[in-house]
Amino acid sequence: MKFKLPFNKKQSAPIKEAPKENLVRVAHETDHFIQSIKNATNNPADLIIKTLPPNIALIYIDKLVDDQSLNNDIIANLQNNLYETPESLKVALSISEVNISSLLKETIDTMVNGSVVIHVDGYPQAIVANIASRESRALSAPENESQVIGTQVGFNESLSTNISLIRRYIVNPDLCNEKLKIGSRTNTSVSLLYMHGIANDQMVNTLRQRITDLTIDELLDSAVLAEMIDDNSLSVFPQMLLTERPDRFCDAILDGKVGVIVDGSSMAIVCPQSFTEFFQSQEDQNLRWQIATFVRLLRLTAFFLSVYLTPFYVAALTFHYEVIPQAFLVPLSESRALVPFPPIFEALLLEFIIELLREAGARLPTKIGQTIGIVGGIVIGTAAVQAGITSNILLIIIALSALASFTSPSYMMGNVIRLIRFPIIILAGFWGFYGIMLAFCFILIHLLRQSSLGAPYLSPFYPPRLKEMRDSIIRMPIPLTAKRPALTRPEDNNKFEPEPVKPEKS
Amino acid sequence: MNKLRGKSIVLLSFVFLYGCAQTNILDKVGLTTLVGYDIGAEEKIATTAVIREVNPEFQSNVEVLTTENDTSKGNRMDANRKLSKKIMVGQMRVILFGEDVAKDNLRYYIDTNLENASVSNGIYMAVVEGKAAPLLKYEYQNIEDIGQHIFRLIEQNVKQEYMISATLHQIAHDYYSIGKDLAMPIIKRDDELVELSGVALFKGGKMVSTLPAKDSFYVKIVRDTFKVGLYETVLEKEDIPSKFLQKPANKITVAFDAIHSNREMELVDIATPEFDLNIKIKSRVLEVFPDINQGDPKSVAGLEKAIEKNLTKEISRVIAHSQEVESDIFGFGEKYRSTVRHSKLTKDKWHEMYKNMKVNVNVDFVILRDGVFE
Repeated sequence: MKFKLPFNKKQSAPIKEAPKENLVRVAHETDHFIQSIKNATNNPADLIIKTLPPNIALIYIDKLVDDQSLNNDIIANLQNNLYETPESLKVALSISEVNISSLLKETIDTMVNGSVVIHVDGYPQAIVANIASRESRALSAPENESQVIGTQVGFNESLSTNISLIRRYIVNPDLCNEKLKIGSRTNTSVSLLYMHGIANDQMVNTLRQRITDLTIDELLDSAVLAEMIDDNSLSVFPQMLLTERPDRFCDAILDGKVGVIVDGSSMAIVCPQSFTEFFQSQEDQNLRWQIATFVRLLRLTAFFLSVYLTPFYVAALTFHYEVIPQAFLVPLSESRALVPFPPIFEALLLEFIIELLREAGARLPTKIGQTIGIVGGIVIGTAAVQAGITSNILLIIIALSALASFTSPSYMMGNVIRLIRFPIIILAGFWGFYGIMLAFCFILIHLLRQSSLGAPYLSPFYPPRLKEMRDSIIRMPIPLTAKRPALTRPEDNNKFEPEPVKPEKS
Repeated sequence: MNKLRGKSIVLLSFVFLYGCAQTNILDKVGLTTLVGYDIGAEEKIATTAVIREVNPEFQSNVEVLTTENDTSKGNRMDANRKLSKKIMVGQMRVILFGEDVAKDNLRYYIDTNLENASVSNGIYMAVVEGKAAPLLKYEYQNIEDIGQHIFRLIEQNVKQEYMISATLHQIAHDYYSIGKDLAMPIIKRDDELVELSGVALFKGGKMVSTLPAKDSFYVKIVRDTFKVGLYETVLEKEDIPSKFLQKPANKITVAFDAIHSNREMELVDIATPEFDLNIKIKSRVLEVFPDINQGDPKSVAGLEKAIEKNLTKEISRVIAHSQEVESDIFGFGEKYRSTVRHSKLTKDKWHEMYKNMKVNVNVDFVILRDGVFE
């Protein structure tokens, strides 16, 4: 689905009349109240109802609430004292988040979220005390975006933990956090994070609107959300970054980007994101600029190698034998001599095998995955050459391009690289270099047409923003990159007042 | 719907257009690396092709095939009838001409190869002493692939500037421009080796004379600039003052490499015509035999003078020889044509004028260094 782009303020939200069931009030009698809750929640097995004589009833869902605070702060409190009214009871509870609600729907919603509902017989109100406890794993190192130098902590599946991680990086009241709910059935919490005073308001509005306009019933992972709020959901190229590194997330937010965190997902969404930024790693910031530049250029080379090396082999061997250097001619044709297939078929076969190995390695448990590596690398590789179904040189080329595709810091982009190789190989086998050129033009035009949250995808190359090339495929020293990227149209352009690179000696 | 139809037409055309591209799969083609032309029986073209074939059984082998036909394409068809692989010329590196072909006319060969898009313009051309076929067919003991060997031989010598360069591009340029004639290296078989033996001078498309390989240095220095060439020359006794000599000798052999040379032609008299040829050479003296005292600036200056004198003499001799045979391989005519307005120069007219041309050779030789260890 394609979303209408941005900055259109004439969005009149249709006013809906609240459905009647939302207005049902809490019953006076405890028995009625309990029955209505049972009816509304379909009488689940883990619904626990505890009556404290003479007049109080506790209703909650097992394991959604924290047992310790339930015992110490609520039950102990209620058993020892007698409360006549909900107001006096509310004051007595030593829990931070306590509310009085008179609507049945509201009460049930909070109960499902992890609150204890307390009803005092004879009053048409219920007290909801939030003592939710969420199962979540401990913070661990980011497995998919590991770095040598840099923080070794990644997001986990708990929204509140993730936000507290970010708050620890950016200690600033300007960090805005908007909570949204998505999914008519899953009611997933989604947080929109951005820096007030840096992030562009229009971009924030656009993103907020895209998220709130979604009408879906479930949202289980942020990757799904990213696909749905992309500018062009049908493109293979991702237009929003998925990252599990809080430092990368914070760096992006401080550049004026907008971040989205989905509860239950360990990947955060960052946008707008340009094409070149997918080839940057957060580690580049931690290295000296010369080394970071080298690594970035290496990754870009790897991208081109990975996409064009195999097609080049196919095209040269099928059509353009003229371009093969003379010294290379004999080894190449000798290794090809035993192969009974045309080069295109040979290349597709081997690419297919490599993809099989990758997919098998990704699906299998780690212990077996290593075995697959050995089987693939040694057995299939060597055996294929000895059996004469591929040439040695193609094996090297395919392995090299597979290796190169994994240098992309974004796994999503790595997948794209591996995928777009196939049509290019086929075109190269059809028409040689003309086919490769056709594919290249097609990809280039496609990339030029993309945008990320309305920002040009190929920035800073198109539109050419010369000063921003300092931090694109190369990285210049920090004083030279004091400006925020124009991609995000930040409200505040300068990160800091740049000092001269070489301060004069005084 | 319309959009979908458009896309499906594009996709469908991919499938059909696939058949339109002609494939030349590397292991299914026989790669011609070298072609030699001779005149065969009944004025036919005898083509000797060195073709590299790769077979699964033998690792790879080199076929040398001679065929006779009226055209070179006909020869290719003939050769195809004898080989299991399609013969392609895209990897051709060298074209050789037998002496009889060179003495007849090269026009046809230059044209056909220039018009063939799959023949690179960077291939080398050379003349063979005698016929090309025997040179290529001889079974050399240590040379496995004669095509590659000759290519590397010529390339190496051209890169080192020991021999003038004659690629198809340069030959075609010289052939079609008025006021310049072709020059090509000559090769011959020397027992088990192939040797660059000289320079062939052409008048139009006909080979008219040869110069020994030693003289290619002078040809090169007058034709274009020099960057790496190594050269050895013999100074006669009268050229060099005896006081510099540490012991008496009849002649001195000097080896030097020209670090940089620069030549300027200037037309001083249109009628005769008369040219000033100023050549500046900066060089490094490598060896002097027998020894002279190179530490002394005076003797170095003397040596410079002597070499200048020697070079002037040699260059004048080479130019005089080319004038004798009416082959302007240095491009004096181009200079004339570009300087004189409305000269309406034709090849024949220039060859007439060239015979009587006067050239004042002026060599400025500078020794920058003499040996690394001093």
